[in-house]
Amino acid sequence: MKRFALALTAATLLNGCVTATVQQIRQTETAMAEGDSIVVMGRRNRPSQAEAELDFIDCVSRNMGSGSGSVAVISEQAFMDAMFPWFEPRTAPLNTTDLPSLLRQPVLAERIREIGLKYLVWLEGSTTRIGQGGSLSCTLTPGGGGCFGFLTWENDSSYEALIWDAHTAKTAGRVSSDAAGTSYMPALVVPIPIIARVRSSACVSLAEQLKLFVQNSS
Amino acid sequence: MNEIGKPIGATAARAGAFSLLAAVIALLGACAGTKHLEIEGTFPIPLIQKSPVNLGIHLDDALVTYIHTEAIDKKGEWEVSIGPAQQQLFNNLATGVFEGHTFVDGVIAEAPLDGVLRPTITEVQFSLPSQTRSNYYEVWIRYDFQLYDRAGNLVGGWKLPAYGKASKKNYGSASNGLQAAAMAACRDAMAFFSINFSREPVVARWLAAGKPLVPPQPQPQPEQQQPASTPPPDATPDEASSV
Repeated sequence: MKRFALALTAATLLNGCVTATVQQIRQTETAMAEGDSIVVMGRRNRPSQAEAELDFIDCVSRNMGSGSGSVAVISEQAFMDAMFPWFEPRTAPLNTTDLPSLLRQPVLAERIREIGLKYLVWLEGSTTRIGQGGSLSCTLTPGGGGCFGFLTWENDSSYEALIWDAHTAKTAGRVSSDAAGTSYMPALVVPIPIIARVRSSACVSLAEQLKLFVQNSS
Repeated sequence: MNEIGKPIGATAARAGAFSLLAAVIALLGACAGTKHLEIEGTFPIPLIQKSPVNLGIHLDDALVTYIHTEAIDKKGEWEVSIGPAQQQLFNNLATGVFEGHTFVDGVIAEAPLDGVLRPTITEVQFSLPSQTRSNYYEVWIRYDFQLYDRAGNLVGGWKLPAYGKASKKNYGSASNGLQAAAMAACRDAMAFFSINFSREPVVARWLAAGKPLVPPQPQPQPEQQQPASTPPPDATPDEASSV
């Protein structure tokens, strides 16, 4: 039993290798002042394979709002509710050129001032399985059971963040994060998953780069 | 050994097997049976320049109890309960869009109300990712709005199609996905209504005219037994011959 627990603990600690690349393009100077906030949102104006997962958006928001160099982040849902109906899938601005007409509405401009919105980050992208192989079989008998085999799969995460400056109504820049990694699961009686945390890695690296980007420290 | 002379382990194993079988049967029953969904959550209040109107809102029983039922091949029957959410939806919508509002029992209202808005749902459709071979649960709701003056005369009406989708990447089960898509469709209806209410030609004309009482619409006459070519009783012989 003790050995089994040890094996399980070891398995959870085993992580596959992930390679992550972050790139950015800066178009304008950026800065965050006291009281400024940022929101990270997914594009949902049309059905698309590149629609970022809700938990990925949440992960980027949480990581930007914590750790060193953290910034004030408004959650996507709270922002959509506060700005309703202007950032719904059918009504959200598609380009920065749509922003000035929105911001000319007094009630909207007042709300943006209230929440201190400085940057709006639009996220697109997804994590997909790009390859898999091997086989694994498990048997369960009254006398016990076990698994035998070897599985491997490769995931790829590719996300791009487009940063809009809500004060100047211009695109401030883009940050992209790509991560790839292979996970393994050898099984000799007990399967031992060695998981490559591809999406998590893409999330952390994107959030860290975005923090640097909006504070103009990169 | 137990009292009926069988090993305790064997009895326990049989009981376990029976429980497992019962659980599998229950699970299969659940899969094949009707799945009931209800729209849950709260609706935001629109942030918009209020329209200078004080309206009564009449939500009839057909709307507040609206349930859409649809059978999907190999996925069983689905019941999506949309009605119960409508009271909160229209209360929050009206709070943001109108200068004042009150829920009323009919289409006739008293001052200070300017008129009555009567929404109805005329059609609902939904689809699962397996049907459309896409990543999305989708819901369409078609609303019909009728605006009455204070005296209950119809000012006009308009239709509002709403659409909501939810990616299967974000929802583990079809129930949760459809629920999210239905919620998104309701928000879409609210958004579209908020932005376009004052621009609807019927509403814009009525507001521009000072929200007047409109002449009653002629009621459709019951079909006459006489042929259409029969002249009216007070027609002159010349008129009668020209008909």
